[in-house]
Amino acid sequence: MKTNQIKFYALAFAGSLFLASCGNSSNTENHNDMNHEHHEGMEHDHGSHQHSESNEREVSSNSGDLKGDLTSIMSSYFSLNESLVKDNASSAAKSSENLVEALKVFKAEGLTEKAQNEVNEILESATENAEHIAKNASEIDHQREHLVSLSIDIKDLIAVIGTSQKLYEDFCPMANNNEGAIWISNKEEISNPYMGSSMPKCGKVNRVIE
Amino acid sequence: MKKTLKWFFIVGLITLVGIQFIPADVNKQEVIFSSDIRNVYDVPDNVMNILETSCYDCHSNNTNYPWYSKVQPVRLLMDKHIREGKKELNFSEFGSYSERRKRNKIQSIGSQIEDGEMPLSSYLMIHDEAKISNSDKEVLAVFLNNLAKD
Repeated sequence: MKTNQIKFYALAFAGSLFLASCGNSSNTENHNDMNHEHHEGMEHDHGSHQHSESNEREVSSNSGDLKGDLTSIMSSYFSLNESLVKDNASSAAKSSENLVEALKVFKAEGLTEKAQNEVNEILESATENAEHIAKNASEIDHQREHLVSLSIDIKDLIAVIGTSQKLYEDFCPMANNNEGAIWISNKEEISNPYMGSSMPKCGKVNRVIE
Repeated sequence: MKKTLKWFFIVGLITLVGIQFIPADVNKQEVIFSSDIRNVYDVPDNVMNILETSCYDCHSNNTNYPWYSKVQPVRLLMDKHIREGKKELNFSEFGSYSERRKRNKIQSIGSQIEDGEMPLSSYLMIHDEAKISNSDKEVLAVFLNNLAKD
């Protein structure tokens, strides 16, 4: 009788703790979501500030008819690719976090309305892809999947904005489940982010972007 | 000792009752949006059936709530899943996506289902009917591949 009673209390206690902690955790998650949204909003506000800094860089590099400064976007993208070449998913995720930040503060200048809309769509898509890569720090296949469309975004972004450095559009026919995929590189030699250390030299230069 | 346990029980009970008053989101707009994927592409009935049975609870503006959705903290978890699911992909608003985003989504839907990442295993545990059979996976793959080619 008495042991039964204790068992009952213990069970009830465990049950209520479980439920309470469930409730709490989802509550905090809600708060996090809200904070996150705030945070994003604030970043947009800071965008103009950081942008003026990148303007200075652009002026000092004395580049011609560029519609914006892709420097920080490209450097995060390149380090993301380097991490994937080395099969390092967690460092790929970190680079991708930087890429998300760089994409958020990027501003294009002097574009027509149509081109600006295109850039907005590219940035939206690239940010989403980069967020996925950042979130999946233990799933390199999933990261590489998003690199396929991220690389198309980056290529299209360069086509609108222009680049001050010589870039290479590389292609690997075996990537993306043998459907083939491109990536952008700043080196002429092939360094394949899709196949990793198993086939780092697979692929060819599709074209040179200048 | 026995007294402490009793207190824990009472506090637990109060918490449990208390959280029932947390307001829930209601994701139920019983109309088919003009931006719904079936109005964007020519979606065959069997494909639409799979999508509605296995995906629409979290990836559309219309969730079929089970009875236990009325109980907290179940609903809080459910609301969170739906909020995140819709942010990722919303079939009701597919038409409002840019062409680029549509293409990405079609690609991702295919690979997520093929890899068995979606539907989520936690969702399948309580929704046996939402499990996508191999033949249905094939049907979806053909449909998505055709869209990707266009």
